[in-house]
Order: sequence, then C-alpha cells, then structure tokens
Amino acid sequence: MVPVGACLGLSAVLFAIGLFGFLGRRNIILMLVSVEIMLNAVNVSLAAFSYQLHDMRGQIIALFVIAVAAAEAAVGLGLVIALSRTRPGVNVDDLTQLRW
Amino acid sequence: MPILAAQTAFYYLAAASVASAILAVTRRNPVHSMLWVLALFLHVAGIFVLVGAEFLAAVQVIVYAGAILVFYLFFLMLLDLPAEAAGPRFGAHWPWCVAAGTAFAMLAWYADVPGLVPPPQRVAAGGSSQGNLAAVGTVLFTQFALPFEIASLILLAAIIGAVVVAKRKTDA
Repeated sequence: MVPVGACLGLSAVLFAIGLFGFLGRRNIILMLVSVEIMLNAVNVSLAAFSYQLHDMRGQIIALFVIAVAAAEAAVGLGLVIALSRTRPGVNVDDLTQLRW
Repeated sequence: MPILAAQTAFYYLAAASVASAILAVTRRNPVHSMLWVLALFLHVAGIFVLVGAEFLAAVQVIVYAGAILVFYLFFLMLLDLPAEAAGPRFGAHWPWCVAAGTAFAMLAWYADVPGLVPPPQRVAAGGSSQGNLAAVGTVLFTQFALPFEIASLILLAAIIGAVVVAKRKTDA
C-alpha cells in the first residue's frame, strides 16, 4: 500500500525543483528540461489520484500530458534551432524582443 | 506485494527521484544534468508501477526517457550552446524559488488532514479482472475518444510547426 499523501508531497517537491531549475538555469535547453520535470511531477500526482479514487481517468489525462510534452519538446527545440541560427551564442537574459 | 516491501520501494524511489531532480537542476555540465533527468524519469516510472499504472510506466520509459530525453540530448550536443556562464547561477531569483518550494510543501502538509479524502481501499485502479492495459484502452477509446483524436491533431500541428519554425529562410 503506497501512501498517497506522500505521493502528492513528492509531486509537489518535484514541481518546486523543476520551477527552481526553470528560473535559475541560463541554458535554454535545460530550461525546457525543467519544464519537463514539472510536467512529470504533475503526472505523479495524477497517477496517485487515480490510485486513490479507483478511477482510470487520472492515468488517461497523464497520457495526454505526455503527448502534450512531446509536442512542446518538438516546438521548443524548433524555436531553439531558429534562435541559434539567427543569434548564435546569445544569452537567455538578453532575449527581450518578441521579433527580430 | 507485501505492504512493507511496497512502502520501502516507494520511499526509495521517492528519495532517489528528489535527489536526481536536485542534481539535474544544479549540475553545471548540461550533459550530466540531462543524465540525472534520465534517472529521475526512470524512478518516476517505478512509482507509476507502484500505484498500479503499468501502462503509464511503460509509456514513461519509452516516450519520455526513450524519445523526448534523447531528443533533448541530441540537440544539446548538436547545437553546442555556450556553457553556462561562470557567474552566480541562481542570482536574484532564489528567494522566489524558496518561496515557491515552501508554498508547495505547505500545501502537501495541509492535504494530509484526516477525513479530507476517503481511506484507500485494496488494489490499484485497474479493475478487478482485467489488466491495466485493457482498462486504459477501454476508457481511452470510449469515453476519451474525442480528446484522443485532438491529441493526435496537436501532435501533427507540433510536427508541422517545428518544421516551419526551424526551416532555413530562403528568401535571400
């Protein structure tokens, strides 16, 4: 029997670590990976609720979260390619324009 | 599985997940931190198995650890981004990060109030007779058929969008 409260606590801790990494990292790819850590934390809590409430819908929504994470990875890394082509080696803090 | 073994496995997986997540966001070498993220995803897959979501665990290993993370690693090596500056990494942001972490820890603490949720019963959400995969498939293709199609549309749009965004401009 897995303690569900501990699962939710683990999910919250992982989410906070992902947020910390997203705010603190300068490498844009590692910022995107921190977003993946946060999405994975949400999946842990969805699976824990699915277990607690005996409802499959939590797992289904977690599958959709994984699909959206894959889409986000594709689009985000496409943007990174475009960015590194127009401004190679630019610092993330200097990207203040929406268009260039 | 005996209760004690399941709990021991859960606490091991939770501690290893938190440790690898912390290492992932603090290592200075991007490839090392990506490998710690891989360790994190595999441990989270173990937690999915413990809460009875076997199909989700398989998808986590195959899609997350196998496809998405390798994709990121590939990009990291291909683009050769500049190493993170040697200056202080968590400059002015760290009080906000600490506040966010504390807030989530307090939410988790207050979620443990007795009587808020019904006590857990015997087995995992998967049904009694059929396995987890059959249960997931049944729900996915009946009740969630429309969201499933929408998810495939989102993936198609993401593929096209990534190609359009990353395409080399040939107007010159």
